[in-house]
Amino acid sequence: MATIGNLSHERDDPRTLVVVFLRGAADGLTLVAPIADDNYHRLRPRLAVKPAAAVPLDGTFGLHPNLRALEAAWKDGDLAIAHGAGGESDTRSHFEAQDLMEHGGSTAGGWLARFLRARGPASSPLSAVALAPTLPASLSGAPSAAAFRSLDEFSLMAGGAAETLPAFARELRRLYDAEDQSLRTAAANTFEALRRIEGIDPKAGPDHGAEYDPSDSFARGLRQVALLIKADLGLDAACVDLDGWDSHFTQQTLIEPLMLRLGNGLAAFRQDLGPRMATTSVVVMTEFGRRVGENTAFGTDHGHGGAMFVLGGGIRGGRVLGGWPGLQPETLEGPGDLPVWNNYRNILAPILARHGAAASLTEVFPGFPLAPLELYG
Amino acid sequence: MSTTNRREFVVTGLGAVALSTAIFRSVQGWLGQAGQYAGHNLARPLTGALTPPAAADIDPVAHLLNRFTFGPVPGDHARVTAMGIDAYLDEQLTPETIDDGLCDRAIARFAEAWWEPLGEAYEESAEALTPILRRVTLLRAIYSRRQLLEVMCGFWSDHFNIDPGKGDCRFTKIDDDRRVIRGHALGSFRAMLRASALSPAMLWYLDGRANTRLTPGERPNENYARELMELHTLGIHGGYTQTDVMEVARCLTGWTILAKQDDGFSGKLLSPFKDRAKVVFRQEAHDDGPKRVLGHEIPAGLGEGDLDRVIDIVAGHPSTARFIAGKLCIRFIADEPPAAAVEAVAKSFSDSGGDLKATLRTLVATPEFRGAAGLKFKRPIHFIVSALRATNAATDADRGILSHLERMGQVPFGYPTPDGYPAAASHWHATLLWRWKFAIALANNRIKGTRIQRATLAKALGGDAALMASLLNRQASSIESDACLKSGDDLALLLASPAFQRC
Repeated sequence: MATIGNLSHERDDPRTLVVVFLRGAADGLTLVAPIADDNYHRLRPRLAVKPAAAVPLDGTFGLHPNLRALEAAWKDGDLAIAHGAGGESDTRSHFEAQDLMEHGGSTAGGWLARFLRARGPASSPLSAVALAPTLPASLSGAPSAAAFRSLDEFSLMAGGAAETLPAFARELRRLYDAEDQSLRTAAANTFEALRRIEGIDPKAGPDHGAEYDPSDSFARGLRQVALLIKADLGLDAACVDLDGWDSHFTQQTLIEPLMLRLGNGLAAFRQDLGPRMATTSVVVMTEFGRRVGENTAFGTDHGHGGAMFVLGGGIRGGRVLGGWPGLQPETLEGPGDLPVWNNYRNILAPILARHGAAASLTEVFPGFPLAPLELYG
Repeated sequence: MSTTNRREFVVTGLGAVALSTAIFRSVQGWLGQAGQYAGHNLARPLTGALTPPAAADIDPVAHLLNRFTFGPVPGDHARVTAMGIDAYLDEQLTPETIDDGLCDRAIARFAEAWWEPLGEAYEESAEALTPILRRVTLLRAIYSRRQLLEVMCGFWSDHFNIDPGKGDCRFTKIDDDRRVIRGHALGSFRAMLRASALSPAMLWYLDGRANTRLTPGERPNENYARELMELHTLGIHGGYTQTDVMEVARCLTGWTILAKQDDGFSGKLLSPFKDRAKVVFRQEAHDDGPKRVLGHEIPAGLGEGDLDRVIDIVAGHPSTARFIAGKLCIRFIADEPPAAAVEAVAKSFSDSGGDLKATLRTLVATPEFRGAAGLKFKRPIHFIVSALRATNAATDADRGILSHLERMGQVPFGYPTPDGYPAAASHWHATLLWRWKFAIALANNRIKGTRIQRATLAKALGGDAALMASLLNRQASSIESDACLKSGDDLALLLASPAFQRC
């Protein structure tokens, strides 16, 4: 059994992995636009991000202006992007693609759950959380995982009578103090976790001048994750979803507000955590990208390759990883889709290795020949 | 539907277009009814002698109930004390003789979910099936009087673990649960092993369906063969080699399940509904050469007969007796079971030819079992079900309960890898916070779909002290009584207490 020390934050120990899932298939070609590619503007005459408006990244790509808040992270080398990212599912079905990606292939249990199990018994009651009504498939089979909406759900208070709680906790502690060492230590860890949870002041402002939009549920979710990380509760994994990316019709109206929430939320999270971002990795993923050619309804249909973001955790960022084949007709596959040349596992694998699962990557992603991207070197 | 199967009936009556909607609605209907019965007709009647245990320590009756049930219900201790431990064991080892009306009522709404033929399961919404299996399993653990059967079903579900999240297992695990696990949980180990080897869900989960040799150069898929020896029979140090794994895989080539489309493994599907997931042996995909498994020669040309030779060899292997005995002793005696007990149980397993009733009788009779009272840490399912039973809760075993099990990391049929949920206490110690929160929520009736009636229960038992003794399976200690008085919530405190985490 881990001791209380294991709940503590070790500066050089990559600790928390935050997975942001953009459900509905986010259009990678709008998030990270290949503004220097003539074919992009030819295939997206109305929807292409205009080079003048984009936040330039390198000679090829520009961020959508609504993601401008992430420019600082890019310049600091704290943000990396992979294009042509996705899985092997070519059914273009949201359900199947999300299911396969969250399980990590046609296999049982979620990839995050297998990652957590590979690292041994959970030492903290808050090893894994999801800001959701139910656990995502990626956490299915985790050693301990809690879906929650608000931090006070973790307190003993929720569900009991508040006025009797101090006496209750005192008497419970008395009973556990009389136990043998392993159970007594487990209980002591739990009381310490409770003390730290109850010590969190949800009204206190974020650190380092960060500002989360209080009206935005995504930003509020990231803020709660930041509070858990800063309280040193031994959080290993957190899942936060941002839904609504299925932009078949009037794409701009639909996803421009989402991009603003995504960019501003992540930027606030990074600023709030400050130096702790070095031990916190954020991954942004989606089930697949969208068709390169726009449709007649100012939208885009289901495609294949999409975009993934990696933020923090000591990466060597400021780079678009894994190359770019261009959008000329012979590069595209099927009905005109970006292919997948960066399998999502190859982006996750180096992060999981960094977070303590280097020896277990084949258990986390069974049956897949891994070729991890060079994220850190 | 005894004469016409359900699909034919529905198709005749409604036409194929309406079919999926109709079945979807019927599944929704079963699930929807659940809310209506919680707190009503599933409260166990509190009649007969309810005298709680009077001893200061866990007595032999309480110990047997702690380990061989998902926790006693009020009155169990008095009843077993009156009938005697031997008679109780006889009763539990012949579950078919036990009237189980309350449990039958609790799961009646799900009766249609047991498909015949299995292919019909594929017409259901995939997401609806595993929740049904989870609920039925929890309801049986909570309400069945055939408690030892349910405890052993839990044991074997871990031993032959299949996560229904993998591929077609979501359609076929229910069938595996019925035919393999429930069908043999207190019967013959060999019969259970053979049924598991030919279970459509296992053939999918461990890739047996893809274990073919259609061309001379094709290598067999070893996945099932390896787990068969490592996890199901001999154990990882049981003395098999990589060559044995490959030879067992060769023996099992050709066994597969009929799929919707030809996926390269299965034979031609005759009828998409009746025959889907049917297990077949394809002689042309079988390696019919001679093999050697664990020192036994298997001659060429036995075809599908290779399977029974393999099952005989591994089920009868001395390592298997020790491995199964060891796991049973871990489950029923201690995380690190005394060697003498394991030896005795292994001998009984061997001598009886893998008869599980005889094996369990031997285990109960060991001095090591008798000396282990109150020392085992309950896993989350055991903890939650024992709390629901001890408080005589009426529950729908739906999301309200499952969300607590999720937090504790032990959703029924939620373990991803073939080794099953871990047994040792150290894996579960980090769940204390969620146990305490569950205890508070249950005691204060704040779990959706679950109700307790504390005052009624305490009155029936004869007062608060009797309620405490009934929960703890012994008299409360002075420190426990004192803590209860001072805590402001004695029921929650006892459910959260160290004593209630153990059995």
